[in-house]
Amino acid sequence: MPTYTDMTRCDGCGECVDICPSDIMHIDPVHRRSYNIEPNFCWECYSCVKACPQNAIDVRGYADFAPLGHKVRVLREPEKGSISWKIRYRDGRLKEFTFPIRTTPWGSIKAAQDYEKPDLSALSSPLLAHEPTALHIDALPTIKKA
Amino acid sequence: MLTNNPFAALTDFLPPLAMQVYIVLMTLAVLVGTLFDVYYKGSAKFFAQRMAKFDAAATRRLSGGETASLAMKTIAEAAVSGEFCKWPRRISHLLMMYGFLLYLITTVAMIFAYPAGASTPAILPTLWSVGALMILAGGLWFFFFLRVNVAYDGASPFHLGRADLFVGPLLVSIAFALLWHFMQSTYGDATSTRILFGLYIFFTTLLFVSVPWSKFAHMFFKPAVAFQRRVEEANGSSDLPSPAAERHIVRS
Repeated sequence: MPTYTDMTRCDGCGECVDICPSDIMHIDPVHRRSYNIEPNFCWECYSCVKACPQNAIDVRGYADFAPLGHKVRVLREPEKGSISWKIRYRDGRLKEFTFPIRTTPWGSIKAAQDYEKPDLSALSSPLLAHEPTALHIDALPTIKKA
Repeated sequence: MLTNNPFAALTDFLPPLAMQVYIVLMTLAVLVGTLFDVYYKGSAKFFAQRMAKFDAAATRRLSGGETASLAMKTIAEAAVSGEFCKWPRRISHLLMMYGFLLYLITTVAMIFAYPAGASTPAILPTLWSVGALMILAGGLWFFFFLRVNVAYDGASPFHLGRADLFVGPLLVSIAFALLWHFMQSTYGDATSTRILFGLYIFFTTLLFVSVPWSKFAHMFFKPAVAFQRRVEEANGSSDLPSPAAERHIVRS
């Protein structure tokens, strides 16, 4: 089920080009809108579908095994921390799903370079970088020795 | 420079009627070009089919008042380029859009109402120059830094392609318009002024005659698509999921 761009909706912002892990979302040289240059190399990760702020990207199956008619649409609502999917099956059934994707405000996660450089002695600690503060807890639970 | 009617000096070698006929011809070129663009790309047919499909899927009929309200909201959104999600593109687009409107309206006013230049209100040439400068500011920013193929797709800032057939001639035409105006106001040299005017007219003609192959028509169909999208959301035919009922952001 590779992706394709509805060019009447796309405003050429480049978000899908930026996020595509397969580097197959590119900019059309005639209309300066995004398009999938190699649908058979699509990993079907739907990153571009979710990232598109204009809801301009949809997915479709190959014509030999998935006759057209189905639809997969997504609505990302960062202000609510959710992503919703609407699936239309080939027989016309519709299903909607909503999933929470985060509990903190969009853009609030600190990048690694925003933290203080850890001490080298931290390498011998069982904790991962910036634990436990980055997990918003005081301490990780430990197993008490009998 | 800012308060002189740039088209007044043209009467030395061009009758006012010639300039007026040129404006009418360019208007016709845009009109015919847009219709041809819509016809040969099949966009009108696609749009009509899409409208019919979504109308059939509507769960409720919109009243005339609701449709008018949606049209007003679409116009309000287009007036502030609200469809753009990134502020640099939005600002550059607004500079170009309002700059172009100022430039266009004042050009038409000066050529049709004050062809001889005498008694031209100073505000008209001033707004003409301001409009042209706004287009250049927004356009150059867009061309070198914001074009998506440059910013995201690794193309050189100097890359030229068919997608630039609108913004390229627009920028060059405006640049030559300002140079021509500067030259005739400051030096008054007839030869260089006429060469610059010739280049200005050449790129202006290219801008309007290339409408069927450029992105010019987007200023007409983008608002139509935005309106249709609002209608689909309002009448229940949108294929997008319903907005989530619950808010999951619970921590700061």
